[in-house]
Amino acid sequence: MKSFIAASGVIKIDRYYEKNLKTLAREALESIEKSYAEDLVPDTLIISSMTPELVDYQSSIADLIADHLGLRKIRVYRVEAGEASGLAAVQLAYSLTTSKASKRVLVIGVDKGSEMSVSRMAGVYGSIKDSEYMQLQGITPLAEAAILAKLYMKKYNYSYEDLFIWPYTMHQNSLETSHAQLRFRISPDSYKDSPVLAEPLRLLDSYPLGDGAAALYIVSEDAIERSSDAIVSIEGFGGSVDSKDIASREDPLLFRSVRESWEEALSMAGIERRKIKYIEIHDNYTPNAFIILESMGLAERGEAPERLENSSIEGVHVNLSGGLKARGNPWGATGIYQIHEVFQALLGSFKSSILGEIEYGAVHNMNGTGDSSYVIILKRVR
Amino acid sequence: MLRRSPAKIWRSRDILYRLKYATCKSCGKAFYPPRARCVYCGSQDVEYRYSSGRGVVKEYTILYQTPSGFGDLSPLIIGLVELEEGFSMLAQIVDVEPDKITPGMRVEAVLRRLVVDGSTGLIYYGIKFAPAEGMR
Ligand SMILES: [Zn+2]
Repeated sequence: MKSFIAASGVIKIDRYYEKNLKTLAREALESIEKSYAEDLVPDTLIISSMTPELVDYQSSIADLIADHLGLRKIRVYRVEAGEASGLAAVQLAYSLTTSKASKRVLVIGVDKGSEMSVSRMAGVYGSIKDSEYMQLQGITPLAEAAILAKLYMKKYNYSYEDLFIWPYTMHQNSLETSHAQLRFRISPDSYKDSPVLAEPLRLLDSYPLGDGAAALYIVSEDAIERSSDAIVSIEGFGGSVDSKDIASREDPLLFRSVRESWEEALSMAGIERRKIKYIEIHDNYTPNAFIILESMGLAERGEAPERLENSSIEGVHVNLSGGLKARGNPWGATGIYQIHEVFQALLGSFKSSILGEIEYGAVHNMNGTGDSSYVIILKRVR
Repeated sequence: MLRRSPAKIWRSRDILYRLKYATCKSCGKAFYPPRARCVYCGSQDVEYRYSSGRGVVKEYTILYQTPSGFGDLSPLIIGLVELEEGFSMLAQIVDVEPDKITPGMRVEAVLRRLVVDGSTGLIYYGIKFAPAEGMR
């Protein structure tokens, strides 16, 4: 049994002071309805969201949104796996549709990352770490990434300027991404002039706080509409974890959760890595991007900054959307945006001038500093 | 923003105030905070101990974008500290100017204020690291 993505839709990631979680979710659904010829008749709704309790005093988000969307006779779930909630939700949709528990699943990722002041949102994001340890010390994933950057630069002999290639490339990529939060070029000077958040990392090494909503319509094999001229299947997935803090890892410059989820997904899809021509990775902080690529084996350890050329590494195009730095990172919605991008690329309607026709694409979605990772491999089958 | 029940802090006292850690009898490695299984080899044969609080700074950062509640102490110096019992942990480094910190610097645990709960006024304390005696 396989599971198929029938349609996807997103809204532009932005600061929407005038819109709540329900409105954002509805707009993502409307974006699907605009592009999909058939009626949407989901029997299951999965909401992927990281922070409704902390940001909106809202628990029980799934039935609330179902009600707001006017959905009845539908089973609802909410998936929360930090920043990686999106891919965790898609993997649940896969399981439901392949086990015949559901036929048509609507997955909506939604979060409001720009609701309060930057320091409040830093605390909300920091809540993904152990509340009896790192949170009480004020230590956030940003601080961990800064320490990783220093370890990485020392071990592999890079200057801070050498790392610039990543944010530079990401901002270049987002210029043509209509749903990206930030669509502007950056220069080496703007990089060095941007404020330091955790030395050596600066504003442009992080991701912008934004609100977003993205939706997928995932169906079982017997629910594929005959009229669909393109079919994309979920060929493989994987997920894994690591120690919550970088201090209790044998080798902090390798994300074990990335390596294990990547290998598991490839093995389930039963393909060689070289078949995959496009991947979106969860580059929440600049050093993490290089560590992710190396943990996937797309570059030797310490070589990712040198191997990256025009957003391509080892024959794979990486983060053509602009990634978390430029497309944005609305937490629970991020993985759904990533799937939308790769799905649309397989259909030939996203970045096709760069990619041409491709058969395979992949998504990597991660929580924190490699705390957990999920990978999904998609294939265009028709 | 930061709201914690007094019971939670009391419950966490061994980790917060006494640096309780775990050591694995199977692979010999130590880790903090303690978990029921070894984070390195997965063995359940772990033993809990208390650290001397003496260690060295392996790496550090100066954190300017601090979560709310930590503003009056900002920026925070966050260190990756390796304790003499062999485990590493993340913690604040205090009583030293950032430009005086060098990897390998010897530090020792001190009890300090971590954060003030804005809604109740409760003050939470915990372990930070200061330059070791003779290094100050
Ligand atoms: Zn062990």
